[in-house]
Amino acid sequence: MKNSLISIIGKMAAKSKGTIALTLLVIVASVVMTLFPPLILEQIVNRLTDREAVAVTVALGYLGMLAVSGILESLQNVMLTVMGQKLTHNVRSEMCAKLSRMQAGYFAKTESGKITSRFVNDVDAVDSIFSNGIVGMFANACRVIGILFVVFYKSLGLGILILAIVPFLFLMTRHIQKKMLKAQMANRAAIGKVNNHVPETIRNMRSIRSFSIQKYMEEKYDVYIEESYRALEKTNFYNAIYSPIVVCISSCVIAVMMVCSSMGDAMQQFFGITVGSAVAIIAYVGKVFGPIEKIGMEIQSVQSAIAGVKRINEFMREEEAPCCEEEEVHGTEVKFEHVSFAYDPEQPVFSNLSFTVKEGENVTLVGRTGAGKSTVFRLLLGLYEPQEGNVTVGGVEANRIPGDRRRSFMGYVEQQFRPVMGAVEDQITLFDTAFCRNEVEETAKLVGLHEKIMSLPYGYDTPMERADFSQGELQLLSIARAVIAKPKIMLLDEITANLDSVTESRVLDVLKKASEGRTVISISHRIHEKLQQGRLITIGAE
Amino acid sequence: MSGQRKKRGIRIIDSPDKVLSYFKPEKKVLLLIAIGGTFFNVGMTAGPYFEGRLAQCLYDCIMGRASAGDMLRVAVTYLTVFFFVQLMRSLKRFSGARLRNDFSRNMRHMLYNGIVHMSREEMKQESTGAIMTKAIADVDACATGMQQVTTEIFDTGVLLASYLVMLFVYDWRLTLLSCLFMPLSYAIAMSLKKPVTRINEKYKATAGKLNQETLDRVNNAVTYRVYGREKDRDASYEKILTEYEKTAVQSNLWGNAMTPVYNIICMGGILFIIWFGGKNVLGTGWTAWDIGVFTTFVSCFTKLAQKASTSAKLFNSIQRAQVSWHRIQPLFREYVELPAPKDGESVETLKVSEVSVSYPGFEPVLKGISFEAGKGQIIGVTGAIACGKTAFGKTFIGDTNYEGSITLDGIELRELNDVEKSGLIAYMGHEPELMSDTVRENILLGKEQETESLLKMVHLKEEVAAMPHGEESFVGNGGQQLSGGQQARISLARTICHKKSIMVLDDPFSAVDKKTERKIFEELRRLAEDRIILLLSHRLSLFPEMDGVLFLHDGTGSFGIHEQLLREKPSYASLYEKQQAGGASDEK
Repeated sequence: MKNSLISIIGKMAAKSKGTIALTLLVIVASVVMTLFPPLILEQIVNRLTDREAVAVTVALGYLGMLAVSGILESLQNVMLTVMGQKLTHNVRSEMCAKLSRMQAGYFAKTESGKITSRFVNDVDAVDSIFSNGIVGMFANACRVIGILFVVFYKSLGLGILILAIVPFLFLMTRHIQKKMLKAQMANRAAIGKVNNHVPETIRNMRSIRSFSIQKYMEEKYDVYIEESYRALEKTNFYNAIYSPIVVCISSCVIAVMMVCSSMGDAMQQFFGITVGSAVAIIAYVGKVFGPIEKIGMEIQSVQSAIAGVKRINEFMREEEAPCCEEEEVHGTEVKFEHVSFAYDPEQPVFSNLSFTVKEGENVTLVGRTGAGKSTVFRLLLGLYEPQEGNVTVGGVEANRIPGDRRRSFMGYVEQQFRPVMGAVEDQITLFDTAFCRNEVEETAKLVGLHEKIMSLPYGYDTPMERADFSQGELQLLSIARAVIAKPKIMLLDEITANLDSVTESRVLDVLKKASEGRTVISISHRIHEKLQQGRLITIGAE
Repeated sequence: MSGQRKKRGIRIIDSPDKVLSYFKPEKKVLLLIAIGGTFFNVGMTAGPYFEGRLAQCLYDCIMGRASAGDMLRVAVTYLTVFFFVQLMRSLKRFSGARLRNDFSRNMRHMLYNGIVHMSREEMKQESTGAIMTKAIADVDACATGMQQVTTEIFDTGVLLASYLVMLFVYDWRLTLLSCLFMPLSYAIAMSLKKPVTRINEKYKATAGKLNQETLDRVNNAVTYRVYGREKDRDASYEKILTEYEKTAVQSNLWGNAMTPVYNIICMGGILFIIWFGGKNVLGTGWTAWDIGVFTTFVSCFTKLAQKASTSAKLFNSIQRAQVSWHRIQPLFREYVELPAPKDGESVETLKVSEVSVSYPGFEPVLKGISFEAGKGQIIGVTGAIACGKTAFGKTFIGDTNYEGSITLDGIELRELNDVEKSGLIAYMGHEPELMSDTVRENILLGKEQETESLLKMVHLKEEVAAMPHGEESFVGNGGQQLSGGQQARISLARTICHKKSIMVLDDPFSAVDKKTERKIFEELRRLAEDRIILLLSHRLSLFPEMDGVLFLHDGTGSFGIHEQLLREKPSYASLYEKQQAGGASDEK
C-alpha cells in the first residue's frame, strides 16, 4: 500500500504513539466519568427519602464529578482536534511533495480546480472520517456500553427493555438517515448547478447580452435553486421529526418502567427501583439514546466522506516522472538527436527531429500550428522525455539538469504571463531570496518596468493584481522573470501574439536588449524579423 | 411589488439590502415558529416536572399511599403532554428550517438578478466574477444566522424564562442563590469573546491563505518546475500548513472546548440546591418540598445550566452571520426586469462612415472605415492576424466604442440600448460561450422551436445524432465534451436560430474543413436573402463570392469587391495567393 492514505496515516501513527494512547485513554476516562454523577444523585435522593440530611462532602463530590467529566470532555475535544489537524497536515504535506514528482502531463490533463479540491475538500473529508467518524464511533460505542452496563447492574428490567428497543431504534435511525442522504445528494447536485451557474453567467456575459436572454438565464437559475429548495425541505422534514421521535420513545420507556414498578413488589424488584434509583435511571435512559443517534450519524459521515479518500488515493497513485541522476552541465550547446515524441502514442508530434544550436546562436523555430514548436521547448526544459533519441543541453540530457540550477541556465518566456500569488517583486523573483532588491530593480529597469512599478501604491511590495498591468506590461514582467537569473539560453515562445503593434515593438526592443550575448531560441516570425539575424529551423513537414 | 409571488414560490424582495426585507414575506412561517417555539419551550419544563411527579408517585406507592392506577394516570398524562410538546418541537424545527431555506432562496435570486444585469463597466473589473461567486457562498451563512436569531428568541428566551419561572415558584430564594453562577460564567465567556473572535479570524484568514496558496501551487506547478522553484514552494507550503494546524487547534480550543468549562461554572449552584433543597425536603428549609419537587428542581436546573453555557456559542454564530451579511449587503440591487427583445424591423441598409474603433480606455485600433451594405448581401471582413477584425465586429454589440457613424436605416447604432440592439443584430463571437446544458438548449436558449433544420444548416446533424442522447446530450462545462469545431458550429446554429436583420459572424468556420465550410456558406447565402451578413474570417477561399470585402490593414480598411481589391491592394492579393497555394490554409 505504498503511496496511499493508509501508508501516510501509518507513518504518522508510528511517530505519535504517545498522543494516540493518551487520546484513547481520555476518551475512555471521559465515558466512565459521565456514568458517576447520576449515581451520586441517587445516593442523595435515597438519603432524603430516608429523612437523613445530605453531607456537604457528598454535594461537593457531585459537583466535583461533574467538573472532572466536563474537563475530560474538553480534553477529549482538544485531543481529537490536535490529532485531526496533525493528520491533515501530514496528508497535505505528502500531497504537496507528490506535486513535485508528478509528470508534467498531469497538469495539462487535470484542471487545477480539481487538484485544489483534492487538497482542500477531500483532505477535510479525511479529517471528518477520522474525528467524527472512527474516533467518534469508538467514543459513542463506549458510552452506550458503559450506560448499558450501569443500567443492567441497577435494573435488569430496564436493561432488557432498552435492549429490546435498541435494534428497532437503530434500524429506524438508519432508515431515516438513508432517506436524508438521498435528499442531501440531490441537494448537493442542485447546489453544484447553482454554484456553477454564476461563473458560467459571468463567462458567457457577451452572449447573454447580445441575445438579451437575461430572463432566460434567471429562470434557469430559479429552477436550480428550486431543486435545491425541494431537496432541503425533505432533509429538514426528517431532521425535524427524528429527534422528537427518539425523545418520545425514551419517554415511553420511562413511563412503562414506572408503571410496572408501581404494580407490586415482584415487578419493583425486577426493575430494581427505589425512589433514588428512579431519578438516576431516568437520567440514564435520556443518555443512552443520544450516542445511538450519533453512531448512526457517524456511519453516515464516513460513508459520504469515503469518496474523498478514494480520490486522494487516486491522486497519490498517479504516475510519477522518472527520477534521474542530476548531472553538471558543460557549455550551452543545444542538441536534438533523432528525437521522436508523442503525448499520446496514437498521435506522434514529430519523429526523427535533429538540430543543433551553437553557443550564442540565434535561431527561430518555424512550422505550421501543431507541428510541435512549443513541444521542443517542453523537452528542452525537461518537462517531458522523448520516446526516442536524445535532447541534450551542454552535453547533458535535458531532464538531468538540476532543478535549482535550471533557472540560471535557461530562461523561458511563455506565451502568456502566469502571475503567482504575492507581491510584484515576487513575480520577477518567484520568491527566490537569492536576488536582492537591487537586482530586481536592475532587471525591471532593463525591461522598462521600473517607473511603472514605482508608480504603484507600495512599489515593488504592491500585491500583484493583473488589472494593474496592461497585456504588454505583463509580457515584460515575464521577460524580467526569465532574465533576472541571467540565463545562458533564452527560450521565447510566441510572446507577442496577443499584443498590438505599438506594444509589440516595445516588447521586441526589450527582448533585443535582453538577449544580447545569449543563445536565443524563439518561436516567432516577428522576433526573427526584429532581431534581424539567425537561421530558421523548420519543425515538422512544411 | 413587495413579496410578489413568482411561480415556484420565489419572491422578489424590495430593498434587498435590508435584512428586514427578507422577513416581510415570511409572516406565515414566523407565526408557525412562534406557536411551535412557545409551546415547546414552555412545555420543556414538563419534562423535569413529570420526572419529579413520577418519582414522587413511586415513593407514594412504596409507602402504600398510592396505587398502580394512580401511577398509570400520571404516566399517561406525562406521555400525552410530552407527545404534544415534541410535536410542537417538530413544528418549530421544520418551520425554522423552512425560514432559512426561504431566506437563502430569495437572497440568491436577488443576487443573481444583480449579476445577470451587471453593466459592462462593473464586469470589467477582473475581480468581480470572483467576488460574486464568493458572495453566493456567503448567502448560506447569512440565512442560517438570520434563522438562528429568530428561533433562539424562543429556544433561549422563552426556555430560560419558563425554567426560571418554574424554579421561582418552587423556591425563589434558592433560585436566586443557585443562579448566581450563571452570570459569572457568562461574564467569563464575554471577557473571552474578544480574544476568541481574534483567534477565529486568524484561523479563517489562515484557512483562506492556505486555499490560495494551494491554488497557486497547483496552478503554477509547471512554472515553478521550469524555474526550479518547486523545493522552495514546498517549504513555503509547509510553513502555511504548520500555521494552519496551530490556528485550527487554537480556534477549536477556545471555540468548542470551553463549553464544558462554562457548564461546570454554571453548575456551581447545584451545591446550594443539594444543601438547601435537602433541607426543604427534610422540612427545615425555607419552603416545604416533597422528594418529587427536589428531583424536578435538580433536573430543571441542570438543563438551565446547559442552555446558559451554550449561549456564548450562539453569539459566535450570530457574529459570523453579521460578517457574511456585511460582505454581501453592498452587492444587492433593486430587482431589474428588462423588456423582452422584439424582432426589429428588417434593415434595408447598413452604412458605416469614417468609423474608428477602440477598446474602452485605449487608443483606436482602426480608423477611417467606410462602407455600405444592403439587404441580401454578405460582406467579408478580413486582414492579417491582429488587424482589428474582432474589435470591429464587437462594435456592433457595444463591446468596443466607435467614433464616426454606423447607421441602420438611418438610426445611429450608439443611440440603441442593449435590448434594442439585440432585436436587430445577432452576433457570434470567437468564443462559442456554450452553457453546461444540452445541445438543444444551447441552440434555442429558451426559444420553442425544432432544431433539426438548424443542425442540418451547420452540418452537425449526423454528429449530434451519433451522440448518446442525440440533441439532448449534455455538452459539459463550457462545452468541453465537444470538439472545438462542434462547439463553433453549435454557436453558429444558435446565432442562426436567433437570426436578426444583421448578422455579425466572427470566424464561423474555424475548425471546419473546406468542404463543410463551402456547404455552410451556401446555407448562409440562402439566409442572407432578407438580411445583411458580416462575415469576419481569416480564410479567403470564399471571398470571391462575397458581395463586398472589407480588407483591414495598417490600422484602417479598404472596401471593394474581391477582384477590385486583388488589383488595387497588393497585400490583399498576396494574402489571397498564399492561401490559394494551400500552404497556410489551416493556420489559425
